[in-house]
Amino acid sequence: MQNVSKRTDWLVRWLVPIALILFACAAIYVSTTFKKMPPILKRGIQPSDFPQLVCGLIIALSLLMAWFDPVRMQERVVTKTWLTIALMAGFALLVCIDLFIALGCFAAALSALWGERRIGVLAGVGLLVPLAIFFLFDQAFQVRFPRGLLTNMWYG
Amino acid sequence: MEAFWAGLAALGDPYLILLLVCATLGGVVIGALPGLNATTGAALLLPFTLTMEPVAAISILTAIYCSATFAGAITAILINTPGTSASATTCLDGYPMAIRGEAGRALGLAVVSSTIGGVFSVFVLMLSAPLLARAAYSFAPPEYFALTVFGLSMLVSIGGGSPIRNLIAGALGILLATVGTDLLTSVKRFTFDSPHLYEGIGFVPVMIGVFGISELIAQATRLDEKRETITMKAIKLPSREDYRRVWKTILRSSGIGTFIGILPAEGATVASMIGYNEAKRWSKNPEEFGKGAPEGIAGSEAANNSATGGAMVPTLALGIPGSPTAAVILAGLLVHGLRPGPTMFTDQANFAFAIFWSMLFVNLLFLAIGLYGAKLFARVTLIPTQVLWPCVFMFSIVGAYALAQSMFDVWVALIAGVVGYFMRVFGFSVVPLAIGLILGGILEQRLGQSMVMLDEKWWLMTTRPICLVFFILTALALFGPMIFKNFKRNHPDNEASA
Repeated sequence: MQNVSKRTDWLVRWLVPIALILFACAAIYVSTTFKKMPPILKRGIQPSDFPQLVCGLIIALSLLMAWFDPVRMQERVVTKTWLTIALMAGFALLVCIDLFIALGCFAAALSALWGERRIGVLAGVGLLVPLAIFFLFDQAFQVRFPRGLLTNMWYG
Repeated sequence: MEAFWAGLAALGDPYLILLLVCATLGGVVIGALPGLNATTGAALLLPFTLTMEPVAAISILTAIYCSATFAGAITAILINTPGTSASATTCLDGYPMAIRGEAGRALGLAVVSSTIGGVFSVFVLMLSAPLLARAAYSFAPPEYFALTVFGLSMLVSIGGGSPIRNLIAGALGILLATVGTDLLTSVKRFTFDSPHLYEGIGFVPVMIGVFGISELIAQATRLDEKRETITMKAIKLPSREDYRRVWKTILRSSGIGTFIGILPAEGATVASMIGYNEAKRWSKNPEEFGKGAPEGIAGSEAANNSATGGAMVPTLALGIPGSPTAAVILAGLLVHGLRPGPTMFTDQANFAFAIFWSMLFVNLLFLAIGLYGAKLFARVTLIPTQVLWPCVFMFSIVGAYALAQSMFDVWVALIAGVVGYFMRVFGFSVVPLAIGLILGGILEQRLGQSMVMLDEKWWLMTTRPICLVFFILTALALFGPMIFKNFKRNHPDNEASA
């Protein structure tokens, strides 16, 4: 178990700075495709100069971090955390049908995943709260939500 | 002086008073709930303030800031879980007092110390912000650039992350701020031909993501934590003996907290730690600290609440956030089209003073709420995580959507939430990311203006005295702790003891 932990530590120590450096390099590459302004219009600096400066700083700091301030995992990512993130992905898919159906399903599923077993509470979280939020925003804040299965019924 | 009274007159609006009362109650609930804090609360509330008048909108955000910072003490004392990180030091003496049956006395001390600290800092804010703004009136773009660099350098010491990681997170925030159409040249950057990105990445969805949604994901690992609630018969005002014992501590911590708050990017958490340590250092009975010393509660609470007013000084006078929550308030000012800085005290002086007066009102209001409602608010800690966080998620998503009524912002909030969670897992604070995102655009704009002004000779900035002072301060902020540590290690006394 300790070996696994050591291996994870070693991986994290190097993977995080490498990922940051690769990200910064990719950003520098993209920034080279920005339009160059003629000297008279460039207003002090070229549009690509500042992002490249920041990316250079990220690379330098990542190198410093790799050697002098190794990254360690602060907490173990437990199964429930992965499932919570998976639920969010499910929410993102359900949004295509209707935002409030997605919100209600996500809220009830999250509540159940985290240990709530009372049907009344699950119904309240998954049904009443999204409805209350919908009417609060629709009526009080005049927010028009994206059209979907349920919102179409309300908006007509 | 006219603006001073005009600001007070704005408080005569019953609608504003009602909003402030509701926001204070909401802030106390947010602060009392473990996991939620003033920054998350303000970030979640920001989209709802967009339809309001600027005075009402910013007053609400500052009300949340002040009241949530205070309310962290309720859970710190009753369940040994600080509602906000700024109340972590309150646990050290508040909970032992509660265990020995003095929960009411501990909460009374916390309420009174918080109120005195908060009121003190608002008076300092009223006096110093216009003076600071007047001093900054002579600033040209190079001075503003140097000031913003100094503000960003203070990121090294916030959020609990290591200095290098804080700087990386800040730099990532600045890089995110470059996405969209460049304001100086109209060139599109990192937009990948997506019209959603032409106007850049909004502050609000990113803040909702990194402060709200990432905290939700983090809560999944804390589901098994057990909390024991201390019962409390009634909250009571500190006795004359208590006041005699803590008044010096309250005044000292109020001064410390206000000063720490004024420093860019430093917030209530740092203030409460220093306030607590100083209370212990000056105490006649330091051995009582950690076992239920009233000075411990007073030192921590007066300092963390006075930091709120202090943090608003650079936020309003210079446009540099004094704390993470002040960064959200700064985002609110920008979203409402207000430009914090010296002109705020000339062109929008009535607005600025209305904010000061509303902060003062809120500080007095939570004295009443704290004394008469703490017992009730302590019950919000009984709301199950399984109910609370799904509701927070729904508000986060709808809040992110409501701002521009765009589903793109919902995706940004979700992605920011997941990225923010993994940043926390790897020991990066999300606060520098948010501050970098807010200040990134301003930094680049000021660099561009400086380059035009100095005919592209950037090194001429070092010939300007104010710039030089800020650059030296920046170097001290970045390398000072390292030099000090090295100096301490090589000091003859330390060598001898080694």
